[in-house]
Amino acid sequence: MKQNPIYRRETMVSARSFRLALIPMIFNGILALVALLNLYSTLGQVKLTAEIQYSNFMNLYMFVAVLEFVMVVLLMPALTAGSISGERERRTLELMLTTKMTPADIIFGKLAASLSTMVLLIVSSFPVLAMMFIYGGVTVRDMGLLLLCYMVAALLVGSIGICCSAVFKKTMVATVASYGVLGILVLGTCLANQLVLYLQQWGGDAWLVSAGQNGTAADSGHFLYLLLVNPTTTFFLTMLRMAGQEQGGGLFSRLFGNHSLESIHNTWVAGSIVIQLVMAGVFLWMAVRALERKKR
Amino acid sequence: MLKIRNLKKAYGNLHALEGLDMDVTDGALFGFVGPNGAGKTTTIRIMTGLLAPDSGSVEFDGQDVVARPGYLKERIGYVPDYFGVYDNLKVWEYMDFFASCYGLEGLTARKRSLTLLDQVGLGNKADSYVDGLSRGMKQRLCLARALVHDPPVLIMDEPTAGLDPRTRLEFRDTLLELNEQGKTIIISSHALPDLAEICTEVGIIDRGKMILGGSLEEIIGKVQTSKPLTISVFQNMDQAIRILKEHPLVHTMTIKDQEIMIGFTGDTRQECGLLAQLVASGVLVRGFEREAGSLEAVFMQLTRQDEERVVLSYEAESDL
Repeated sequence: MKQNPIYRRETMVSARSFRLALIPMIFNGILALVALLNLYSTLGQVKLTAEIQYSNFMNLYMFVAVLEFVMVVLLMPALTAGSISGERERRTLELMLTTKMTPADIIFGKLAASLSTMVLLIVSSFPVLAMMFIYGGVTVRDMGLLLLCYMVAALLVGSIGICCSAVFKKTMVATVASYGVLGILVLGTCLANQLVLYLQQWGGDAWLVSAGQNGTAADSGHFLYLLLVNPTTTFFLTMLRMAGQEQGGGLFSRLFGNHSLESIHNTWVAGSIVIQLVMAGVFLWMAVRALERKKR
Repeated sequence: MLKIRNLKKAYGNLHALEGLDMDVTDGALFGFVGPNGAGKTTTIRIMTGLLAPDSGSVEFDGQDVVARPGYLKERIGYVPDYFGVYDNLKVWEYMDFFASCYGLEGLTARKRSLTLLDQVGLGNKADSYVDGLSRGMKQRLCLARALVHDPPVLIMDEPTAGLDPRTRLEFRDTLLELNEQGKTIIISSHALPDLAEICTEVGIIDRGKMILGGSLEEIIGKVQTSKPLTISVFQNMDQAIRILKEHPLVHTMTIKDQEIMIGFTGDTRQECGLLAQLVASGVLVRGFEREAGSLEAVFMQLTRQDEERVVLSYEAESDL
């Protein structure tokens, strides 16, 4: 099977660059430092009290996993936002478009190159997470699920970055737009739910209801479904379930009112992953269309 | 080979092309000239598939390439007026990358790349980084890149802009060599003397329309008639003036000492007839010639709105 020429060029150039060594070193360095310090602190506590708090190891695992997730989500726009606009600024995009390469080839080549860098970061950091295997509590299946969460988030955020890069001419604008869209997905959906919940509580006797007087508690209603597009929600739900801390609609109830979502809650993670994959597909389609539209 | 009919393209209210027609024959070295903003780059971008026309057709070998861009991409090599290079690649890697963009892989691509680099004089630079190349070398690399899939047609937009005279001459020789190998070359340039030396066909575009096209000789011949005929009279000046004044093809006349400059709309045969008439009527003619045409002169004449005014100025200066 022929490799995508853009993917091949990008990987060759990045393999040659110092950046490829530097990013994993910093990324894993931070993770390892945090993990080892926590481990040292926990073991120090054991020495003092002669009591092993196994929950501490689980908390440490979650802490490191969250840190890694945050880094994946924040790094991906930086890796992708300049992918197409950079070609445009170098004036090589048009040259590629006169070859047999289609806009879709260009977009997927760029995405694959960015994802491969991210996969390298994620996989190289797994030994840090795997330290928790020593003390038990985390299974390989859990790690697989975590990897899936990372990959879906990286794909979604990467697609947003590439879409912005194809739509906007300048890399700077594309980067700002990528983080803007990411902000809407991650913070915007949470804030929308908080706002609705606040309005519900503020708007009458619902406040009393939520305060536990009687009847049904206030919640953010159907706005909760907005969180299906939020990769952070998917990740946290997965993590909490892994830690056995999430029963029913616990997370949502704590944050956005008394949601009784037992029926959909069981399929929330799978459903949100499917929706986010579809969204990634839509962003990539928009990127391809943006390149094709340049002809108009 | 290439046939463009009634091509139209507008950017908002600006009409870049207004029904452009153009024909380029197989194996031609076609010079595409016009003033800035005439629509050359728009035409070239449509020809290369980078821009879609509002209406009209572009046909390569009878195939509508607007509808079939895949056919177009196999048949053209495009050299724009910029370099478009990746600075962090070596020269051979750059060639290898574009070869793979055309589906050429492995040894075939490598051999083809090295042959082309030799052809454009960059064979010894294959392992150098692209950012270490001079401007002229980068332009030659772009030419090699455009030829990597061995296209029968090469489309070039101002390829020699910003190059020094020596590099321009070398570039010109390379184009002639490629043309001799059978490549059809369409080249847009403002270096008209260079074009005049190498082009077999020329198209002059102005305000989105092709105002004149054909072989260089035909074009110069067509525009030649608007150049003044200069007649040097040794004796019988009055008789010469009387004949010229009555001649139906003479529309302007300027007299300076023993020289008469006339605006004569006839062709070469009619010029000969006029000379014979003068001689037969006893005028002793010492010189009889029309100013030689050049592509530059043709370009200037066709693209200047006030050309008519210049011709009429002979009348103002005339004693008649």
